[in-house]
Amino acid sequence: MTSHPFLRSSRPRTRDAIRTFRSRSLQCIAVLLFSGLAAGAAGQELARAAMPVAKPMPEAARPKIGLFTTGGTIQSKGEHRQKLMEYGAGRVTPDELLADLPELAEIAHIEVTEISNIGSGGITYEHQLALVKAINAYLARPDTAGAVVTHGTGTLEETAYFLNLTVKSDKPVVVVGAMRPFTAVSRDGPFNLYNAVRVAASPDARDMGVVIMLNDEINAARDTTKSNTYRLETFVARDLGPLGYADSDRIVFYRRPIYRHTHRSEFDVSDLTELPRVDVTYDYQEDDGVAIDAFVAAGAKGIVLTGSDAEAVKRGQAAGVVFVQSDRKGSGRVLESARSRERGIVTADNLPPHKARILLRLALTKTTDLDEIQRMFNEY
Amino acid sequence: MMTSRSSTFSLCRRRMLVSLCAATSLLSSAALLAQEIPKYAPPPEIDPNAERPTVVLMSMGGTIASRGTPRLNVTNYGGPENPRVDPEDWYRDLPELAGIANIVLEDQRAPQNPEPGRSTFEDWRRVAKRLNEIAKDPSVDGIVVTHGTNIMAETAYYMNLVVDTEKPIVFVGAQRPWTGLSGDGPRNLYDAVRVAASKEARGKGVLHAMNQYIHTARDVDKTSAYRVDTFKDVDVGAIGFADPDKIVFYREPTRRHTSQSEFAGIDFESLPKVDVVLAYRDAPGYVIDAMVSNGVEGLIIEGTGAGSLTAGQTEAVERAKKKGVVVVATARTQGGRVQATPRRAAAGIVPGDNLLPEKARILLQLALTVTRDPAEIERIFAEY
Repeated sequence: MTSHPFLRSSRPRTRDAIRTFRSRSLQCIAVLLFSGLAAGAAGQELARAAMPVAKPMPEAARPKIGLFTTGGTIQSKGEHRQKLMEYGAGRVTPDELLADLPELAEIAHIEVTEISNIGSGGITYEHQLALVKAINAYLARPDTAGAVVTHGTGTLEETAYFLNLTVKSDKPVVVVGAMRPFTAVSRDGPFNLYNAVRVAASPDARDMGVVIMLNDEINAARDTTKSNTYRLETFVARDLGPLGYADSDRIVFYRRPIYRHTHRSEFDVSDLTELPRVDVTYDYQEDDGVAIDAFVAAGAKGIVLTGSDAEAVKRGQAAGVVFVQSDRKGSGRVLESARSRERGIVTADNLPPHKARILLRLALTKTTDLDEIQRMFNEY
Repeated sequence: MMTSRSSTFSLCRRRMLVSLCAATSLLSSAALLAQEIPKYAPPPEIDPNAERPTVVLMSMGGTIASRGTPRLNVTNYGGPENPRVDPEDWYRDLPELAGIANIVLEDQRAPQNPEPGRSTFEDWRRVAKRLNEIAKDPSVDGIVVTHGTNIMAETAYYMNLVVDTEKPIVFVGAQRPWTGLSGDGPRNLYDAVRVAASKEARGKGVLHAMNQYIHTARDVDKTSAYRVDTFKDVDVGAIGFADPDKIVFYREPTRRHTSQSEFAGIDFESLPKVDVVLAYRDAPGYVIDAMVSNGVEGLIIEGTGAGSLTAGQTEAVERAKKKGVVVVATARTQGGRVQATPRRAAAGIVPGDNLLPEKARILLQLALTVTRDPAEIERIFAEY
C-alpha cells in the first residue's frame, strides 16, 4: 500500500509537486473509471455473494407481493460509489432493482407497478391517489399477500401515513427507502428492500397498519418520522419506538398499534381525483400571521398551526378555514383543552404538523364540523 | 372516597380503619413529615356522589414510601431515623386520589428488619397470591403496586407472567423520597391510579407508570440511577402516556402475558435456581463451574454483542450442559435480540430474544417448572 504513488504524493509542497499530484490523480481516476467499467458487468456491489438468504420456498408456496415504485434514493444512481449526496446520475427502473436482488425471487413472486420514478420532494396528492388506488386494487385480489412501496425518504412518512388512512385491507403494506443511493458502497437499499418484502409476506404483519422498513426496524407509519438528514437509523417513532424487527432468524413484533388505520379507517378516496388544500404554518418569535392570511387567500380549506397569531386565526375562521393545533417539538401530545375548544381549534394529539395536514385533508373530504374533526384526530 | 366493598378486604379494611384513627391522632406531628405539596393551589373539590372505579393501592414500599430530612436530601433517605410512609399517609397527603377512584389500601411491605438469609421470593409469592385474589374480586377495577425502583421491573415482569387477570395492574415508584423537594412520587402515584382506573389499560399486561409514560412490565428497564426519566422500554418504547387531559394508549404488547400466560394463577412455592453470568474480555469459566456446583438448573449468559461468550466460558457451558443445566443467551448491549442461529442451535443454547438478563432469568425459572426441553424453552422465549 505505502508504495502506491497516489498515497506517496498526497502532501504536495511545491507547485511542481502539485502538478505531479494532479497528473497522477488523473491517472488514478482513469484507472478507477476503467476498473469500474470492467466491474460493471458483474455489478458494483462489493459483497454480492455474502447476503444471507431465507430458506428458498417451493415456487407455488411463495407469496405474491406487489412492488409499487415511486423512486427515491433507493432507485437513484450517483456519479461514483462514494457519492452520498447530490447524486444525479439517473435512476434505476423497477426491473433493474429486481435484477440487482435475485434473492427476492426465492421468497416471493414480485409483481411490479411503477407509479413514478422521482424524488420524494415531487410526490403530490396525485401520486398518492394513484398509488393507493393501485394498492387497493392489488390487495383486493384474494391471491395476493402484501404490498411494498419504494419512496424517497424526505416525505416518505407523509405518503406512509396517507396510505395508513386510505388502504382498504389488513394485508401488510410496507414503505421502504434508502439513505444511500443504489450505486454507493455500503448502500442500505438492497437489504431494506429484501426485509420489506419479508415483512410484507409475514402473516404477523397483518393488521399492523402501514409500516416503514429501514435499518431492520419495523416502524408504524403514523408515529414515525425522519429524524436525521443522512444516518441510516433516521426513521424513529420518537414517542413510542418501533413495532418490531426484521432480523435474520425471523420477523418479530412486540407491539400492535391500537388506533384506527387501513381497513378500520372511515376515509375512502376511491372516487376522489383531488384533495382539499391544507397548509402548515411554522411558529417563531414575532410571527405576525402574514403566512396564515396568505394561505387563506390562496384558498386553503384547512391550516395546521404550530403556534398562532390569534387575530389571523380569527380572520381565517371567518372565511371558513379549519385550524388544527400541532407543535414544532417533534414529540409529545397537544392536549385537548377548554381553551382550544373555546377558540374553535382542533388539537392534533401527537401528530407532527406534516402528518396532521394529511389527516385534516382527508377529514375535510367528509366534514367541516369541528367536533367531528376532533374525534378523527383522537381516533387516527 | 376510601372504602372497601367486599369481604375479601376485611383484612385491609381493618388495617385501614386502625391506621386512619392513628393518622388522625397523629396528624399534627405527622404534618411535619408530610409530602412537600405546594400550598398555592388547593386540590379541587370532590363530588361525593360521583360513580368511580375501585382501585386497590398496594404498597411494596420503595423510595415512594420513604422519608428523608432535610427535604433536599434525595440520596440518603430512609433508615431507622426516618419513619416509612404508610399507605394511609399517601392517601392523606393526596386527597385528590379520592376524585379518581374509590381507594382500597393494602400493605404488602417486606418486614423492615428481615431475618438474615430471608429470601425475597417470600414477598413475590405472597404478593402474587394476593394480586391473583384481589384481581378476582368483581368490585375491583384496577390495582396499583408501589415498589422500590431498583428491581421494580423484575417484580413487575414476574407478576406479568403469574397473575391471571385482564384488569390493569400498574407498578409505580419514585426517584425521590415522598418528602423530597420536587419529589416525583405524588404525581407518579396520582397518574398510576388514573391508569389503573382507566378502561383502556385493561388486557395490556402488567404496566409501569412513572414520569407520565406508560410502559410494559416486559420491556421496561431502569436506565439511570437518579434521573426522574430513568424508566425506558428497551427497544420498543412506551405504549402510552398519562397526560393531563387523558390516559392515552397507542400500542398494545403482542407477547403473552397475564391471562394469556401458561404460568398465570399458579402459586409457585419456590422457583428453580438460575444464575446470570456476565461475559467480558477473558471472563473465566470457573464462575460458571461454581454456579453449577452450587446447584443451578439454568444459566443466563449476559453475552457480548449478540450473546457471545469467551473461550473459557464456552468450555464451562459445555460442562454445565452435560450436567443438565439449561443455558439461555442474552446480550449485555441493553437492546437488540439474541437471534436463533444454526451455530447456537448446534451448541444447544437457547436464544433469549431481547429480554434483559435479569428478566430472562425469571422466565427461565418459570419455564424450568414445566420443561427442560431446549426446543420448548425456545418456544417460551419466543412467545413471552
